[in-house]
Amino acid sequence: MEDLSFDPELMHSVFKLVWSKKSEKNGDTGIINDDEVAAGTSKKSRQTTANPNALKVSCELVRIFVTEAIERAAVIAEAEGSTKIEPTHLERVLPQLLLDF
Amino acid sequence: MDEEEERTEFLRDRFRLSAIAITEAEGRKQGMEISEPVVACIADLAFKFSKQLAKDLELFAHHAGRKSVTMEDVILSAHRNEHLGCLLRALSRELKGKEPQNVRKKRKTSKTEDAPTS
Repeated sequence: MEDLSFDPELMHSVFKLVWSKKSEKNGDTGIINDDEVAAGTSKKSRQTTANPNALKVSCELVRIFVTEAIERAAVIAEAEGSTKIEPTHLERVLPQLLLDF
Repeated sequence: MDEEEERTEFLRDRFRLSAIAITEAEGRKQGMEISEPVVACIADLAFKFSKQLAKDLELFAHHAGRKSVTMEDVILSAHRNEHLGCLLRALSRELKGKEPQNVRKKRKTSKTEDAPTS
Protein backbone atom coordinates (compact mmCIF):
# COMPACT_ATOMS: atom_id res chain seq x y z
CA MET A 1 0.00 0.00 0.00
CA GLU A 2 1.36 3.37 -0.97
CA ASP A 3 1.13 5.93 1.74
CA LEU A 4 1.38 9.09 -0.23
CA SER A 5 0.24 12.16 1.56
CA PHE A 6 0.56 15.90 1.44
CA ASP A 7 3.62 17.60 2.76
CA PRO A 8 2.80 19.36 6.06
CA GLU A 9 5.13 22.15 5.01
CA LEU A 10 3.11 22.70 1.85
CA MET A 11 -0.12 22.66 3.82
CA HIS A 12 1.35 25.23 6.16
CA SER A 13 2.21 27.53 3.26
CA VAL A 14 -1.34 27.27 1.95
CA PHE A 15 -2.75 28.06 5.39
CA LYS A 16 -0.40 30.97 5.86
CA LEU A 17 -1.37 32.33 2.48
CA VAL A 18 -5.06 32.26 3.37
CA TRP A 19 -4.46 33.74 6.79
CA SER A 20 -2.25 36.55 5.56
CA LYS A 21 -4.74 37.43 2.84
CA LYS A 22 -7.56 37.56 5.31
CA SER A 23 -5.80 39.70 7.87
CA GLU A 24 -4.80 42.05 5.08
CA LYS A 25 -8.34 42.53 3.85
CA ASN A 26 -9.96 43.24 7.17
CA GLY A 27 -8.33 43.33 10.55
CA ASP A 28 -10.10 40.05 11.21
CA THR A 29 -11.61 40.32 14.67
CA GLY A 30 -12.02 44.05 14.52
CA ILE A 31 -8.40 44.92 15.01
CA ILE A 32 -7.54 48.02 13.03
CA ASN A 33 -5.44 47.51 9.94
CA ASP A 34 -2.75 50.15 10.36
CA ASP A 35 -2.04 48.73 13.77
CA GLU A 36 -0.81 45.66 11.95
CA VAL A 37 1.32 47.57 9.50
CA ALA A 38 2.83 49.91 12.02
CA ALA A 39 3.43 47.60 14.95
CA GLY A 40 3.69 44.11 13.54
CA THR A 41 5.27 42.91 16.73
CA SER A 42 2.28 43.72 18.89
CA LYS A 43 0.72 40.54 20.19
CA LYS A 44 -2.82 41.44 19.21
CA SER A 45 -2.15 41.73 15.52
CA ARG A 46 0.06 38.68 15.19
CA GLN A 47 -0.96 36.23 12.53
CA THR A 48 -2.49 32.86 13.21
CA THR A 49 -0.05 29.98 13.45
CA ALA A 50 -0.45 26.22 13.40
CA ASN A 51 1.28 23.58 15.45
CA PRO A 52 3.05 20.78 13.56
CA ASN A 53 0.70 18.05 14.68
CA ALA A 54 -2.31 20.07 13.62
CA LEU A 55 -0.73 20.34 10.19
CA LYS A 56 -0.21 16.61 10.00
CA VAL A 57 -3.84 15.98 10.90
CA SER A 58 -4.93 18.54 8.30
CA CYS A 59 -2.86 16.75 5.67
CA GLU A 60 -4.56 13.52 6.59
CA LEU A 61 -7.97 15.17 6.37
CA VAL A 62 -7.32 16.47 2.86
CA ARG A 63 -5.79 13.14 1.84
CA ILE A 64 -8.92 11.32 3.02
CA PHE A 65 -11.00 13.81 1.04
CA VAL A 66 -9.11 12.99 -2.14
CA THR A 67 -9.10 9.22 -1.69
CA GLU A 68 -12.76 9.23 -0.72
CA ALA A 69 -13.64 11.11 -3.91
CA ILE A 70 -11.86 8.47 -5.99
CA GLU A 71 -13.27 5.55 -4.06
CA ARG A 72 -16.83 6.75 -4.37
CA ALA A 73 -16.45 7.56 -8.06
CA ALA A 74 -14.89 4.12 -8.56
CA VAL A 75 -17.93 2.44 -7.05
CA ILE A 76 -20.20 4.24 -9.49
CA ALA A 77 -17.91 3.46 -12.42
CA GLU A 78 -17.83 -0.18 -11.44
CA ALA A 79 -21.60 -0.33 -11.21
CA GLU A 80 -21.71 0.90 -14.78
CA GLY A 81 -19.25 -1.75 -15.84
CA SER A 82 -16.54 0.73 -16.72
CA THR A 83 -12.87 0.55 -15.75
CA LYS A 84 -12.26 4.23 -16.22
CA ILE A 85 -13.53 6.96 -13.96
CA GLU A 86 -15.24 9.56 -16.14
CA PRO A 87 -16.39 13.05 -15.17
CA THR A 88 -19.99 11.86 -15.01
CA HIS A 89 -19.07 9.41 -12.27
CA LEU A 90 -17.48 12.15 -10.23
CA GLU A 91 -20.49 14.37 -10.84
CA ARG A 92 -22.75 11.74 -9.35
CA VAL A 93 -20.82 11.45 -6.09
CA LEU A 94 -19.83 15.08 -5.67
CA PRO A 95 -22.91 16.46 -3.89
CA GLN A 96 -22.81 13.86 -1.11
CA LEU A 97 -19.03 14.08 -0.89
CA LEU A 98 -19.13 17.80 -0.30
CA LEU A 99 -21.84 17.36 2.31
CA ASP A 100 -19.73 14.78 4.10
CA PHE A 101 -16.66 16.99 4.44
CA MET B 1 0.49 42.44 -5.37
CA ASP B 2 1.86 40.82 -8.49
CA GLU B 3 4.45 39.01 -6.53
CA GLU B 4 1.84 37.67 -4.19
CA GLU B 5 -0.28 36.43 -7.04
CA GLU B 6 2.74 34.67 -8.41
CA ARG B 7 3.35 33.05 -5.06
CA THR B 8 -0.29 31.96 -4.91
CA GLU B 9 -0.05 30.38 -8.33
CA PHE B 10 3.15 28.62 -7.43
CA LEU B 11 1.69 27.23 -4.24
CA ARG B 12 -1.48 26.16 -5.97
CA ASP B 13 0.45 24.30 -8.61
CA ARG B 14 2.62 22.58 -6.07
CA PHE B 15 -0.45 21.61 -4.11
CA ARG B 16 -2.19 20.31 -7.21
CA LEU B 17 0.79 18.20 -8.11
CA SER B 18 0.72 16.37 -4.80
CA ALA B 19 -3.04 16.01 -5.07
CA ILE B 20 -2.61 14.50 -8.52
CA ALA B 21 0.01 12.08 -7.22
CA ILE B 22 -2.33 10.94 -4.47
CA THR B 23 -5.25 10.64 -6.88
CA GLU B 24 -3.27 8.49 -9.26
CA ALA B 25 -1.93 6.27 -6.51
CA GLU B 26 -5.46 5.74 -5.26
CA GLY B 27 -6.65 4.94 -8.77
CA ARG B 28 -3.95 2.30 -9.09
CA LYS B 29 -4.97 0.85 -5.76
CA GLN B 30 -8.56 0.61 -6.97
CA GLY B 31 -7.44 -0.85 -10.29
CA MET B 32 -9.21 2.01 -12.04
CA GLU B 33 -8.21 4.32 -14.80
CA ILE B 34 -9.00 7.95 -14.13
CA SER B 35 -9.72 10.36 -16.93
CA GLU B 36 -7.80 13.63 -17.11
CA PRO B 37 -10.59 16.05 -16.27
CA VAL B 38 -11.43 14.05 -13.15
CA VAL B 39 -7.85 14.24 -11.90
CA ALA B 40 -7.70 17.98 -12.53
CA CYS B 41 -11.05 18.51 -10.91
CA ILE B 42 -10.13 16.58 -7.78
CA ALA B 43 -6.86 18.46 -7.45
CA ASP B 44 -8.74 21.74 -7.64
CA LEU B 45 -11.34 20.54 -5.17
CA ALA B 46 -8.60 19.56 -2.74
CA PHE B 47 -7.03 22.99 -2.97
CA LYS B 48 -10.33 24.77 -2.42
CA PHE B 49 -11.11 22.43 0.42
CA SER B 50 -7.79 23.29 2.07
CA LYS B 51 -8.44 27.00 1.74
CA GLN B 52 -11.83 26.59 3.35
CA LEU B 53 -10.24 24.45 6.03
CA ALA B 54 -7.71 27.17 6.75
CA LYS B 55 -10.50 29.71 7.29
CA ASP B 56 -12.39 27.34 9.57
CA LEU B 57 -9.33 26.53 11.63
CA GLU B 58 -8.50 30.19 12.09
CA LEU B 59 -12.03 30.90 13.27
CA PHE B 60 -12.00 27.98 15.69
CA ALA B 61 -8.65 28.93 17.16
CA HIS B 62 -9.66 32.56 17.56
CA HIS B 63 -12.93 31.55 19.12
CA ALA B 64 -10.99 29.58 21.69
CA GLY B 65 -8.88 32.65 22.32
CA ARG B 66 -5.77 31.20 20.71
CA LYS B 67 -3.48 32.42 17.96
CA SER B 68 -2.29 28.92 17.21
CA VAL B 69 -4.26 26.13 15.56
CA THR B 70 -4.21 22.81 17.39
CA MET B 71 -5.19 19.26 16.50
CA GLU B 72 -8.46 19.75 18.35
CA ASP B 73 -9.43 22.49 15.91
CA VAL B 74 -8.84 20.17 12.99
CA ILE B 75 -10.93 17.43 14.58
CA LEU B 76 -13.65 19.98 15.28
CA SER B 77 -13.74 20.92 11.62
CA ALA B 78 -14.72 17.31 10.84
CA HIS B 79 -17.37 17.07 13.54
CA ARG B 80 -20.22 16.58 11.08
CA ASN B 81 -18.85 13.24 9.96
CA GLU B 82 -18.47 10.74 12.77
CA HIS B 83 -16.23 8.32 10.90
CA LEU B 84 -13.95 11.09 9.82
CA GLY B 85 -13.82 12.39 13.38
CA CYS B 86 -12.85 8.94 14.65
CA LEU B 87 -10.10 8.57 12.06
CA LEU B 88 -8.61 11.95 12.84
CA ARG B 89 -8.90 11.39 16.56
CA ALA B 90 -7.01 8.11 16.25
CA LEU B 91 -4.28 9.87 14.30
CA SER B 92 -4.07 12.71 16.78
CA ARG B 93 -3.77 10.25 19.65
CA GLU B 94 -0.97 8.51 17.80
CA LEU B 95 0.82 11.80 17.20
CA LYS B 96 0.33 12.83 20.81
CA GLY B 97 1.82 9.55 21.93
CA LYS B 98 4.97 10.34 19.99
CA GLU B 99 5.42 13.59 21.86
CA PRO B 100 5.15 12.92 25.55
CA GLN B 101 5.90 16.47 26.60
CA ASN B 102 2.45 17.75 25.76
CA VAL B 103 0.42 14.84 27.10
CA ARG B 104 -0.49 16.58 30.33
CA LYS B 105 -1.44 19.76 28.62
CA LYS B 106 -4.22 18.04 26.70
CA ARG B 107 -5.74 16.36 29.74
CA LYS B 108 -9.23 17.72 29.14
CA THR B 109 -9.46 16.19 25.67
CA SER B 110 -9.54 12.62 26.96
CA LYS B 111 -12.96 13.31 28.44
CA THR B 112 -14.44 14.42 25.16
CA GLU B 113 -12.71 11.69 23.25
CA ASP B 114 -14.46 8.82 24.97
CA ALA B 115 -18.01 9.74 24.11
CA PRO B 116 -18.21 9.52 20.31
CA THR B 117 -15.92 6.56 19.80
CA SER B 118 -18.12 4.18 21.80
